[in-house]
Parts: sequence; C-alpha cells; structure tokens
Amino acid sequence: MFNFEFNSLAEAFLMQSQNGQNHGIFVWSVLIIVFVSILATFIFYKMSIKKITKKLK
Amino acid sequence: MYQVDRAYSYIFYVSLVLYLVSIFWGLFVTPEDFVQGNSYRIIYLHVPASFISQSLYIAMAIASAIFLIWKVKLSAYLVRSIAPIGAITTFIALISGSIWGIPTWGTWWVWDARIVSTLILFIMYLGLISLHDSFSNHEKADKFLSILVLVGSVNIPIIKMSVEWWSTLHQPASITISDKPAIDLVMLYPLFGSIVGFAGIVACLVILSSKLQILRRERNKSWIKNYV
Repeated sequence: MFNFEFNSLAEAFLMQSQNGQNHGIFVWSVLIIVFVSILATFIFYKMSIKKITKKLK
Repeated sequence: MYQVDRAYSYIFYVSLVLYLVSIFWGLFVTPEDFVQGNSYRIIYLHVPASFISQSLYIAMAIASAIFLIWKVKLSAYLVRSIAPIGAITTFIALISGSIWGIPTWGTWWVWDARIVSTLILFIMYLGLISLHDSFSNHEKADKFLSILVLVGSVNIPIIKMSVEWWSTLHQPASITISDKPAIDLVMLYPLFGSIVGFAGIVACLVILSSKLQILRRERNKSWIKNYV
C-alpha cells in the first residue's frame, strides 16, 4: 500500500540525505517540540476549565 | 455552549487522525527533496503552524471589528481567547523554521524580512495578552485590545509579501492561488492534510480557550451556574 522511503527504523531515525548528512535530528526535534507544545496547551486548558468549574459548583 | 461541546469531540478526533496520517505520510512516504534532502520534511510541521498563526490574527482582527462596530460581547471574549493560541502557533513556526535553517541555510537565525515580521507577530500576541491582563476594567481592556489588534493587522500583509518585496533568504511561497504549485503533488497532498488537520486541532484549542474565558468572565451570571 505504501512505498516507504526508509528500509528500517534506524534509517528513519537518521534520515540520511543523498549529500551524506543526517537530517533526522532536525526533523525529530521539531516533531517533539510541536507535539509537546500542543499537548501542554491542551492539558493547561483542560485543567483550568476543570478548576473553575469545580469552583463554580 | 452545549452545541459547541458536542461539536468539539467530532472536530478533535477527525482533525487528530487527519493530522497524524498526514505527518506519517510526509515523514515516511514522500520522496526526499533533491535540493534540501530529508530536512524538507519539516515543511509538514512548519507550514501549518505558520499559516495558522497568521490566520488566527486575521480571525482576531475580524472579531475585533465586530466588537467595535456592533458591541458583540462574545467577539471580545474570542479576541482574548485566540491570542495565547496564536502565540503558541507562532512560537512553533519560529522554532521549526530556525531548526530547519540549520541544515538548509547553515544558520538558525538571520535578520530576514519574513523571519523578523513573524517575530513581530509573536511579540504582538504576547503584548496583546499582557495589555488585556493589565487592566482591572474588562470593558476598557476589550476596547483597547480590539483597537490594537486592528492596528497590528498591518503586519499580516507584510509577512505575506515580505518574500516578494525584499530579497530574503526565506524561499517564496510554494503554493499560491493564481499559479501552479511549485512543489510536486506527491509532497503537496500530505501538506494540505497537515494544514487542515492542524487547523482543526487549533480550532479545538480556541474552543477550550473561549470556554475558559466565558466561564471566567460570566461566572456571576445565573446561566453559567445552570451550565456547570
């Protein structure tokens, strides 16, 4: 179904380009920053709403 | 509020699945870029954040105009609710762009028109939040905030056109309404998916932020007591 670009997990982690440079560190860092930022924001709002709802009850 | 609560879960799960599938597709299935190598895959995280950070400001400007013209209270709440989400998406756009710059440009920061105007957008979001929170009178704060948002909206066309008006290190737009996309369709489909998915996730954050704002500002009203 998919034609994967990488043959193994190690290759996907390193993401070596044709010029020989490993770009995985950059791509994975950005992915982690994006996911952590979104998750932290969701947790912050969910907790704040829960707190204020409790107070209002 | 009840209808929004019901719509929230649908928007959240559909957007999350679309976003994750598009990211997976972009990171593992699309081919390597001939010029930038595998670092170009950051596009699937950077472009949605950058696009949404500017779209959120436009939404704030529209809500501000509605508040100033028709005095719709909900619009003022929406302006204050969008600001922190806008700051977070702009932060993601700046950080992801900086990390992308290391393998592509050889530096994480340049005083380039596009990057500086995006940094100004980030500072504006933070400034608007601080300004609103510095007032004890909410009505006055809403009015000042709305006026400042409208004044600051001049930065949005500057961000958009910066790559055309000035010679910048940042590449020009790959997707425009009038021209054929500059990137291959194989790379374009997951990009569209990630933009739509991210927009849905951000919409959910705006819903949560608005809910918190309404609960805080209307806490003394009877309908809120019935709602909770």
